[in-house]
Amino acid sequence: MVEALIKRNLKTHPQLNFPDYKSSRLRAPKNKKISFSSTSTEISGPVFNKDIIGKLDNDLTLNFSKNNILPIGHKIIVFGTISDQFANPIEGALIEIWQANAAGKYLHHNDNNTAPIDPNFAGCGRYITSSKGYFEFITIQPGPYPYPNRGIEWRPMHIHFSVFGKSFGQRLITQMYFEGDPLINSCPMVNSIYDEKAKKSLISTLDTSRSNTQKLLSYKFDIILRGTNQTFFENRKEGL
Amino acid sequence: MSNSKTVLDETPFQTAGPFLHIGCLPNAINIEGIFDTDLGVKPFANKNYDKFITITGSVFDGDGKALDDIMLESWQSDENGVYSPECGFARFVPDSLTKKFNLYTLKPGFINNIDGKVQSPHILLSISSRGLNMTLNTRIYFEGDDLTNDPLLSNVKNSRNDVSSLIAKKIDEDIYLFDIFLQGDRETIFLDI
Repeated sequence: MVEALIKRNLKTHPQLNFPDYKSSRLRAPKNKKISFSSTSTEISGPVFNKDIIGKLDNDLTLNFSKNNILPIGHKIIVFGTISDQFANPIEGALIEIWQANAAGKYLHHNDNNTAPIDPNFAGCGRYITSSKGYFEFITIQPGPYPYPNRGIEWRPMHIHFSVFGKSFGQRLITQMYFEGDPLINSCPMVNSIYDEKAKKSLISTLDTSRSNTQKLLSYKFDIILRGTNQTFFENRKEGL
Repeated sequence: MSNSKTVLDETPFQTAGPFLHIGCLPNAINIEGIFDTDLGVKPFANKNYDKFITITGSVFDGDGKALDDIMLESWQSDENGVYSPECGFARFVPDSLTKKFNLYTLKPGFINNIDGKVQSPHILLSISSRGLNMTLNTRIYFEGDDLTNDPLLSNVKNSRNDVSSLIAKKIDEDIYLFDIFLQGDRETIFLDI
């Protein structure tokens, strides 16, 4: 018996060809992807050792601060769990996040917005999940920002997430949004997902259970990666 | 693990956007002092460099423009066809001037698959960028290798006549060319992995 990945349900994912998101017009492939049963290549993947994670890697309010000056904005906690499609928590998953600062500006040479950079905020963090698949980041509430699409449009407040599970077939890159943000409904990147439940799963919920002790607002965002099924292969050679 | 439980929906993808370097390759854009090194700079840090090959190429959009605001990730076996969680992963971006990427790595070996069949040497390659609502995946096979019995290539041949977009061309000793076309007549075959 081996663990094979269950088939990805593309109906709960965004459309690649979605002209409302202008950048997709010249980049989204037109042909259908080729489906196949997972092989050794997809069910294996890189696993990262916890010793690559520095003490401040998951505290974006401190990991780029100069002389202990805090970045400007509302300090928040973003936390949640990573599990698979059968609700098994995934320990040892690497999460990388990146985001704009409180003014909606990225520390990046290609960000042409006129909003100011914050010298104490880079906007990157990473973490490796603990035994129950738990993760936590301390950061600044990112601002919304204008970008050229069909004329000037506004991105809702969001944090980018990159996740490595146990296998390359579980790899996920996505974005987390914030409950109550009125810009979510008009965002073409969000609307490239047709399934309403799937769309909603990207919106973190305000969870004040920890807010009083830490004096920070906290947002909960649970992530679900591909599941694996045990599969028996009749012609599998002995010892493999 | 259990087959009897309810199957939850996977969290949907969203585009990695134009600023993905901040989170994935901060040192490459001079955000220094947070992470010691960027992940995946060397896929086989402990192996002998003499045996390495170079895979070079560009990623072209529908207008034929070579892109540089993208991220590539690769996953592969070692020269014996063995996957190990601690090596074989690389992350790289095209050069901003030449628009070409260069992957220095081991040539992977033939791989015993979970179903008992043998896969020809290949590298799994993913592409993330603005304009891509999901990460794209493809495979790099190698010109000159025996590709006749590879299960995936046989599968692809059933639906497409031409699998050449999955085969890197040998352009020099230990140097292979693998260009990727996101759209158009030469659109690369992408995989639902």
